Amino acid sequence: MSKVLAVAKRELRSSFNSPVAYAVILGFLVFTSAWLYFVRGFIAANQADLRPYFGVMPIVLAFLAPALTMRSWAEERRLGTYELLLTMPFTEGQLVAGKFLASLAVAALALLLSLPVPLSASLLGSFDAGVIAAQYLGILLEAAAALAVGQWVSSLAKNQVSAFLGGVLLLLALVLVDRIAAFLQIGGLLASLLNWLSLAFHFDAFSRGVVDTRDLAYFAAVSAAALYLSSWNLSRRKWS
Amino acid sequence: MIEARELRKSYDGVEAVKGVSFSVETGTVLGLLGPNGAGKTTIMKVLTGYHFPSSGTALVDGVDVTEDPVAVKSRVGYLPEMVPLYQDMTPSEYLDFAAEARGLEGPARKSAKERAVEACGLKPVYSRPVEQLSKGYRQRLGLAQAILHDPPILILDEPTTGLDPNQIIEIRSLIRDLGKEKTVILSTHILQEVEAVCGSVVILNEGRIAASGAPGEIGEALKGEERIRIRAKAASGPALDAARLGSLLASLPGLRSVGSIEAEGGALSVELAMQPRAEPAAGDASAEAVFDWAVGRGLKLLELERRRLSLEEIFVKLTSEGELP
Repeated sequence: MSKVLAVAKRELRSSFNSPVAYAVILGFLVFTSAWLYFVRGFIAANQADLRPYFGVMPIVLAFLAPALTMRSWAEERRLGTYELLLTMPFTEGQLVAGKFLASLAVAALALLLSLPVPLSASLLGSFDAGVIAAQYLGILLEAAAALAVGQWVSSLAKNQVSAFLGGVLLLLALVLVDRIAAFLQIGGLLASLLNWLSLAFHFDAFSRGVVDTRDLAYFAAVSAAALYLSSWNLSRRKWS
Repeated sequence: MIEARELRKSYDGVEAVKGVSFSVETGTVLGLLGPNGAGKTTIMKVLTGYHFPSSGTALVDGVDVTEDPVAVKSRVGYLPEMVPLYQDMTPSEYLDFAAEARGLEGPARKSAKERAVEACGLKPVYSRPVEQLSKGYRQRLGLAQAILHDPPILILDEPTTGLDPNQIIEIRSLIRDLGKEKTVILSTHILQEVEAVCGSVVILNEGRIAASGAPGEIGEALKGEERIRIRAKAASGPALDAARLGSLLASLPGLRSVGSIEAEGGALSVELAMQPRAEPAAGDASAEAVFDWAVGRGLKLLELERRRLSLEEIFVKLTSEGELP
């Protein structure tokens, strides 16, 4: 565990030494608040409902998570530090976990800094603290899954830009895949499959304040699978 | 102690290392020498557990690199060819990270850092971001990272590139000192470096070992012929000219080939390649034969010098011809 923390600490230091972490946090706060107050006309509607606020987050995260993770492996390879990390006494799993924890910490900080939004909304009406807690839990899990996927794409990519673009495309696809079923008005098994794949679909229950173990299991599974694939990718390179 | 047995490594179907075996004892500095693309870096990457061999075994202190890579990595200090530095960190922060990665805490970390900083002369830049450091300091920081945890095995890929002559001397003497207790492998294409630092050499060419042994021994083994340079003039009569010297040389016993004859200070000088003696004990026989021949032909020898084949010549010979003679 101390090895994982060593990696995470270095990773965090780099994030905050570069503009990326600040840009991502600021981008997240500005965009989500602007969405709520201006686009959705939250105050004008005078309706104390935060679902639109949280509803847009999966899409915002599809852009911001890859911005946080694009450097993870692509940049290490460019700098040659990839070779350093892989010749230090870390397992591939420890390296992946360390980087994941660091990116999750930045995302958690962004979420923490967004707390004034629900607090200000609570002035408009009585909010159920339980619902807000569920919404935050949901978005944190969603962020974890998105960051794990982003890191996996970075472990495959040749450079930061392709890591970012690849991550955005893959995450947007994962977020929006449930819309295909709705749009094409297909039902049955295929629709359930498309829904089941979707990050947004699983987040939906959280945004209504419902914590469903199936959704918890889905986010845990996506995160774990993506992290495993990253680590497998690192091991695989030794043989090629 | 490092042992490589029949190592092979292919990348994308290209075999970079084609069956290399060698071993290095503790307390030895081994030089891997070879032109670019000879497989030096690949061998080092296999020994550090960064790449796994396609076949063959690499043992580091008796541990197979594919079986327990983490154990191998904790015993090895590695300086890659492209020095792996984080641009935004200071040397102090960078060494802190390396120490954490190696599980060094508290006072142990502090003294390890001090030792490495001292040995590599990093004091003046200790708190400056890496991106502002000169090539020489970056190289030394990379080396400091490699020796930080006092590893029993050091693997250094071209450790003195980018250093100025004074720094090269310092780093070489540091490596020599480290080599007294550790197993050190360094790669280089600078031949003097091998002669200055290494107790043994492996010369690689196109993924194979072209020659190995102590730097001096390689010379002996590869000589195949003895070279003698002479400067001579006529003892009396008309001055010696190249044509006459050439015809006189025809009667020199044991002569194999003649270098170009050059006029030098009123005399002629030439390098002679002599047939090797059957038994090494007869060491001076060729020189004696040349001397007797010169006296018999009425020549005055102004100089007679036995030339040792330099590592440089061996290197060129091996890597251009490819195979051992």
